[in-house]
Amino acid sequence: MRRLDLRATGRTAVRYRLLVLLVIVAIFGSITIVDFFSVDTLQSVLNRATVVGFLALGLTPVLIAGQIDLSIGSILSMAGITTIALQPVIGNVPAALAGLGVGVLIGAVNAAIVVVFKISSLVATLATLLIFASLALLLTDSQPVSSTDPIFGIPLTGDLLAVFTPRSALFVAAAILMFVWLRFTPSGRNLYAVGSNAAAAKSAGIRSNAYIVATFLISGLFAGAAGVLQSLSTATGSPVAGAVMLIPAITAVVIGGTRLEGGRGSSLATLGGVVALGALTMMFEFNGVPAYTQAIYTGVLLIVLITLDRLVSGDGRPTSRTLRRARVESPTPRGIQEEA
Amino acid sequence: MTATSTALNTRTSTPGALFSTLSVPIAIVALLVVGAIISPSFLTVSNLVNVLNANAAVGLVALGMTFVAVCGGLADLSVPANVAMGALVTLGAQSFAGPFAAAGLGLLVATVGGVVNGLLIGYLRINPIIATLGTGAVLLGLSQQLIGGGIVYGEPSALADFVKGSFLGIPVMVWILAVAALILTPVLSRTAFGRWNLAVGGNYEAAEASAVPVRFTKAGAFVLTGLLAGLCGVLLALSNGQARPIIGTGYEFVAITAVVIGGTSLFGGSGSVLRTVGGVIITALIGNLIILGGLPTQATGLVTGAIVVVAVGIDVYFRRKGGRE
Amino acid sequence: MTIRRNIVVAASAAAALALALAGCSSGGGGAASADGDTGSVEGKEICYITAANSHPYVTPANEGAQAAADAAGVKLTIVSEEFSPQTGAEQLDSCVARGVDGILLWPLDDNSYLPGLLKAEQEGIPVVAIDTTTGEDSMALIESFVGADKYDQGKISAQQLEKALGGEGGIVIIAGQAGNGTEIARTGGFMDELEASGSKLEVLATVNADFDQQKALVASRDLLTKFGDQIKGVYAEDDTMAKGFQQALAESGLAITPFIVGINGEKGAFESIKAGTQYSTIIQPPFRNGELAIETLIAVMKGETVDEMVPLENTVVDAENVDDNEPAM
Repeated sequence: MRRLDLRATGRTAVRYRLLVLLVIVAIFGSITIVDFFSVDTLQSVLNRATVVGFLALGLTPVLIAGQIDLSIGSILSMAGITTIALQPVIGNVPAALAGLGVGVLIGAVNAAIVVVFKISSLVATLATLLIFASLALLLTDSQPVSSTDPIFGIPLTGDLLAVFTPRSALFVAAAILMFVWLRFTPSGRNLYAVGSNAAAAKSAGIRSNAYIVATFLISGLFAGAAGVLQSLSTATGSPVAGAVMLIPAITAVVIGGTRLEGGRGSSLATLGGVVALGALTMMFEFNGVPAYTQAIYTGVLLIVLITLDRLVSGDGRPTSRTLRRARVESPTPRGIQEEA
Repeated sequence: MTATSTALNTRTSTPGALFSTLSVPIAIVALLVVGAIISPSFLTVSNLVNVLNANAAVGLVALGMTFVAVCGGLADLSVPANVAMGALVTLGAQSFAGPFAAAGLGLLVATVGGVVNGLLIGYLRINPIIATLGTGAVLLGLSQQLIGGGIVYGEPSALADFVKGSFLGIPVMVWILAVAALILTPVLSRTAFGRWNLAVGGNYEAAEASAVPVRFTKAGAFVLTGLLAGLCGVLLALSNGQARPIIGTGYEFVAITAVVIGGTSLFGGSGSVLRTVGGVIITALIGNLIILGGLPTQATGLVTGAIVVVAVGIDVYFRRKGGRE
Repeated sequence: MTIRRNIVVAASAAAALALALAGCSSGGGGAASADGDTGSVEGKEICYITAANSHPYVTPANEGAQAAADAAGVKLTIVSEEFSPQTGAEQLDSCVARGVDGILLWPLDDNSYLPGLLKAEQEGIPVVAIDTTTGEDSMALIESFVGADKYDQGKISAQQLEKALGGEGGIVIIAGQAGNGTEIARTGGFMDELEASGSKLEVLATVNADFDQQKALVASRDLLTKFGDQIKGVYAEDDTMAKGFQQALAESGLAITPFIVGINGEKGAFESIKAGTQYSTIIQPPFRNGELAIETLIAVMKGETVDEMVPLENTVVDAENVDDNEPAM
């Protein structure tokens, strides 16, 4: 009887991991720092979480569909430099839209390579990561592009309803919209089916390829949005800004609970993961914890969370089985090949 | 992650299968031709030796990454941390342990990193990308904390001279890569451990049902990669005479790219160490050709990414044709 | 079960909200609270946005800053941009939002900090820049700059090569990581000086070696293959990469002696200069840089006037004065 309770408690703790994490951060934060737990801090956390947050949000449907997008950092950089470089040419708002457009365009390239050339998304987006990171450097001659109108983007990080800034409000709104789509619309639910078992989804009449294309377009759009917002906020289009953002984005998604194997995930969970990671970083910074020590804590946190997840929800066998089935379109047995 | 590449190429001598086998050598020959055209100094012994030498150290990592890919372990992202640890410990411990023991210690530390990965991924069945991301972050953070921001200098030693030297005109580092490849190629294709890796990557449940020690196999691939990454770090440290934690930056990408260009699928079930060696040579040729051709070094990513798409695309195309639709 | 879970969630959320609102009244942080005695800085807080936590040059600078802060009884909170100006811009926003009493900023590019600096000005928080200058608009919002300029280091390197080569010859540039602020400044300073002085030195090639010795070694081998004895001079943007070139040169067995200039004043470079394989390096004292920067900021916080630029010497070390100087790292 007692053993069952422990298991149930463990399960609950893992399920509400984000809440647990936030509470722990809040407690440590308020002990070590005066005024840590305040509206200002919340506003700061949400604001800083925005750029990584958009990357993580865009990644979520991709992962749910059983794919991955490693190129989001390079998309961010490309969108950022487009936005700033085109400001004097076509105006501030059109330039921002062009930045979004570049994001969607690269998303389309990813989609094409995966769906048309049938290359796995891991390899395809690894290639586009390299290609567009390189392109960004070549286009800008490795220099950041300075905005001709730095004042335009400043209101993005101004006050909005005390806890928000305009850009963090956009982020939260986007997360909620995505949640509504994934949970309450037929197309959202179909996405989970595609990610769990692409073959079964296809025989159920769902056009898996169309969904996969859509997720890459979304990922591109959101990564583009991240790039636009960041470049406008800093009045600078940097060709390397996105390179360091891939890992934090993946970390946030994983902390939130979305699985890398596909078939499961939630944008609210990602929102929570992003905020939790942001709050943790804030707390570390307030305490002057060096970046390498933060990396150690974050790495341990990641491993602990994912281990707990695995222990609580079984050894993951069903997931790997669906992974296998999802990979093979026709159920022919695979032989074992040896090559010299 | 849903892979859309399907059946393995079979041993039937369809044009597809033949092309798949020859694709890497053909690519190398093509690049050699391009090189000869763009620069008179390309097809010289010294330049070709440089090409082999350029990626000799990171090539060791790619060999390990082959096993990781073959067993379905996707990728080991903790490579930069293991390389750094190997390098830093090798030089840092020299003052109290002497060069040989210090190098051994460096190898040991990196292998321990690999063992942690192996336990998490092989035995706890945790997603390899997240697990290695986590362990890599922890290990790299630790290494930076230990070094406290400085540069670690090594002392001159016979071991360092050996690593920096040449034998029969070929640098020792290249010999080490060659020996490692010569040992590991039959390990993958002919030993039980190798067959287990292919089985585990091909169909985990079927392998388990056939009494293959699946957990040990997968763990083993990551331990091997940790060891090889450590060796890479040890060799770099000894040959450069100094080391910093950034020493391994980007090596995981180079290794994965070499594996992929060589034709091994990251989802497992098939692959060969020799193919990866081909991939390593191709990536080294790309770097060499860019400088000899006067292209900006920032273009390396563009060229490499494009070659990955073309190489894997062609490979997938011919596999689909050669295999069952 | 479901109802109970929902109640738990709702209760937690409500508790969180209540706490947040409670904190609202004490929100705003320890702003620049006016004390009667403008001269005292004891107990005040400085936010130091540094380039990195673990780096051969930055770490001693951080230690210098900490020493100066401790001496003055000021609380120093160090946050690291890890070489990303975007991260730094966000950290600047956070520091301003927390209402610290002074900010020491290590700028990594020209404009990313402008919005944050505008906010700092609005809140009345003084900002001092360390080590690198930033764009014109941003510098106008900064009280003082303490450091030796990286751009200047590029300029000096060009002058060194001019001197060594007697005005003409082929040179190669081994640059840092593409897009990195230090690389941009050191390359920019070098190229601008060549143009400004009407130099006849010809840049044969520029390669990026990411401030890494191994990458510099590999690239140098290819440069030597391609250009061979055309290379009369080498500009390596740090001593580590200079060492890589020297390694490649030794390997190649070519009987050439190009003049190699580096930056950073590393121990290895000193040895090379003494041995005659490197022409010169440039040192700037990192510990003193950090110390002086904090001292300057504290002076501003006390209400004193300070110079707009507090320059640190870029000291050129070559065969003549190598014995009179200490390596910086």
